[in-house]
Amino acid sequence: MATQFQVRIAGAEKPYAAQAAQAAFAMTDDLESRLSRFRENSDIARIAQLAPGEELRLSEPVFACLEIAEKMESATRGAFSVTAAALQNQPQRPRWSLRQESSSIRCDGGRLEFDLGAIGKGFALDRMAEVLREWDCPSFLLVAGGSSILAGAGPAGTPGWSCGLGENNSAQRYWLTDCSLSGSGLAVKGAHILDPRTAQPAHRQHRAWALTGTGAESDALSTACMVGGEAELLEIVGDRSDWLVFLNQGGGWRGGRVRPMTV
Amino acid sequence: MVNQPVTRREFLGTTVAAGAGLLLTSCRPESASSPAAAPQESVLNKINVALIGCGAQGQVLLDSLLVIEGIRLVALVDIWSYNRDSNVRRLKSQGVEVRGYESYEDLLAHEKDLQAVIVATPDFWHAPVTNACLKAGLDVYCEKMMSNTIEGARSMVRTMRETGRLLQIGHQRRSNPRYQFALNRLLRDSKLCGRLTAANGQWNRAVTEDLGWPKKFTMTPEALARYGYKDMHQFRNWRWFKGLGGGPLSDLGAHQIDIFNWWFGVMPSSVMASGGVDYYKNHEWYDNAMVIYEYPLPTGTARAFYEVLTTTSAGGGYFEMFMGDEGTIKMSESPLITKLYREDRAPAWDDLVAKSYLRASATAAASGEAEKVDVRETAPLLQYEIPVTFNKKIHQPHLENFFKAIRGGVRLNCPADEAFASEYVIHKANEAIAERKTIAITPEETQA
Repeated sequence: MATQFQVRIAGAEKPYAAQAAQAAFAMTDDLESRLSRFRENSDIARIAQLAPGEELRLSEPVFACLEIAEKMESATRGAFSVTAAALQNQPQRPRWSLRQESSSIRCDGGRLEFDLGAIGKGFALDRMAEVLREWDCPSFLLVAGGSSILAGAGPAGTPGWSCGLGENNSAQRYWLTDCSLSGSGLAVKGAHILDPRTAQPAHRQHRAWALTGTGAESDALSTACMVGGEAELLEIVGDRSDWLVFLNQGGGWRGGRVRPMTV
Repeated sequence: MVNQPVTRREFLGTTVAAGAGLLLTSCRPESASSPAAAPQESVLNKINVALIGCGAQGQVLLDSLLVIEGIRLVALVDIWSYNRDSNVRRLKSQGVEVRGYESYEDLLAHEKDLQAVIVATPDFWHAPVTNACLKAGLDVYCEKMMSNTIEGARSMVRTMRETGRLLQIGHQRRSNPRYQFALNRLLRDSKLCGRLTAANGQWNRAVTEDLGWPKKFTMTPEALARYGYKDMHQFRNWRWFKGLGGGPLSDLGAHQIDIFNWWFGVMPSSVMASGGVDYYKNHEWYDNAMVIYEYPLPTGTARAFYEVLTTTSAGGGYFEMFMGDEGTIKMSESPLITKLYREDRAPAWDDLVAKSYLRASATAAASGEAEKVDVRETAPLLQYEIPVTFNKKIHQPHLENFFKAIRGGVRLNCPADEAFASEYVIHKANEAIAERKTIAITPEETQA
C-alpha cells in the first residue's frame, strides 16, 4: 500500500478514540506485511513464486482480499484485475483459483504477479472499519492516500461526512455515511493504470470516482472506470443498485446513477 | 560470471555444489505444494498443538502454525475472551476447528491428546505455564524472555532436565537461514570481518499511545486479579510493568543481545548501562536504554553497544552490526536493512562471490580491471549482498525446528539452557541501569 492513512472519529472521548485509531492503524501495518509485493515473505510475494499446479495456503485477510478481487474482476468484465501488471512480463495473464476448503490459492498457469494497488487500500479501510466498530466507534471517516475513503455513521447532528470529488475543497460535494468513495485518474501519476485486457495504459477518462458499500469495491471499481468505456460502465453499474460512478473525461462531468447532494 | 545476477534457483544449485546444504532446505518455497507430488500427511503422524496466549505475539506465531505441515492446531488458550473467541471464530472460517480455553489448567485437564504447546503469554506467566506443561509430558516452545526473573528462567531449565522434554525458546533469528548463512559462511568460515572489534545493535520505535481495549470487552476486576493484574490498563500494557515484564530491553533488546552472544560465541564479561523513565508518566520500565557489553574474544576484547528507544523511530531501523578491521556485517530480519561493508585493507571478496557466498552488484568485475582506464558514465558503487532469499514468515523456521526436533533427528536451535545464558546477561543490563554501575559477569553465573 505504501501510502498515508488517516482516521477521524466523532462522538468518542479523545483518549479512547486515539486508542481505537491506534488499533486500526495496527491493522493496516499487519495487512501491509501480508499484501505488499515488495516484502519477500508476504503472501503476495510468495504467491509469485508458485509454479503452475502448486498451491499455497493463505492467511485469512489475503484470502478474503483475493476473493473480493476475483468477484470484482468478474463484476467489471475484466476491466479490473490484480494481474494487470503481469502482462508487462508475460505474454498472457496468469491464471489462478482459490480453494475455500484449504484457504489456499492454486497457480493454474503463468506466474502470479499480483499487484493489489487498486484494491489493497480499500480492503485495508474495510478491515479498519471492523476494528472501529468492535470498539463501539461507529462514527468515523477513514482516508487512504487521499484517493479512497470509507465513511461510517456521520457525526451527530450532521447528514454525514462532507466529501468532495477532486481537490481544494471541490464544489462537487456529497454527504457520505456507511459507504466508500474512491478516485482514480491521470492527474497525479499520469497514465499508470493498465488495461488488463490489452496491457496498454488506460486513459478512457481524465478522472473517475466510484461510490460503493465497501472500500475494496470502490477502490477496484474506480480503477475499472479508467479502463472501461461509458457504455460498458453503465452496464456494470446497472447490475448493482448500490454502485455509483462519476466520470470526468477532461471536458466536464458525466455520471451514471448520480444523486448529487451539494452542500 | 560475477557480473550476472544470481537467481534463487541458480544460487541453490551452486550452493549445493559448494556444500552449503543448509540453504537448500531453508529456502525452498516450503508451503507451496504440488498436490501430485506432496507426501500425503497421515492424520496419525500429525503433532497435536495448542497455543497458549493469543495476543499480538500469539497472533504472529499462529500465522506460522497454520502453514507448517504435519501439525494439527487443536486448542487456543487466552484469559481474555476478546482474543480467544475472535481467533476461534476466525480459524473456523478457515476450516480449522479448535477448542478455546480460558486457562492452561483447563487445557491440560481436557486435552489428553496434546504433544506440544506454544507459550506466548506475558513474561511473568512463562515459567508457571511452561513448567506445568513440561510436567504434563508436553514439549514446549516458549516465547522469549523465558521469564521476567532469573529464578523463573532457571526453574524452566531445571524442569526441562527433570522431565526430559524439549523446551525451545523463541529467539527466532537462530533459525533464520540468512542469519545462519552469514554466521557460518561469512563470519566464521570466511572471516569476512577480519578481527572483530565491536558490535552495534538497535531497535528504535516512535512514541505510541498505551494499548487500549474495546470497552465492552473489559474484564472484571476479579478475573484480572486472579491472573495477576491490577487493572485492565496494566493487563494490556504488561511489558511496561515490573513484576510482569522487563521493559524494552527485554521486549526488543532480548532478540538482538542474544545475537551478540550467539555470534561472538562467548558471554560478555561485563555490562554498563544507562536508562530511565523520563518520558512516559505511567510506566515502570525504562523508556530508553543504552548498554555496553565487553566480550572477551580470543583475539582481544570486543565491545558491543546496544540502544533501544521508544521515543523516536529515527536511527535506521532495527539491526545487529558486527564490525571488524576488514569488514562489517549488518544483519536485520529485514533484508532491506541488511548490508555488507568491505574495508579497503581487506582482501578482495571475488573468491567469495565465485563460491556464491556473496552476491555482487553488476559492476563488481570492475575491481579487477585496474590496469585499463576507460572513461564512461560514472559507475555505481560496488555492493555485496547475502545471497539467501528467505520467504517464510520470520518465526516459521524456528517453529519448524521445534517440530522437527519433536520428531527426532535434529537438535533445537535454541534450547532453554543455552537461552538462559543469553538471557541472563539481558537481565543484568536492566540491573546495571538500576544500580548505575558496571557489573562483572562470570561464565559460571550464566549457567543454569
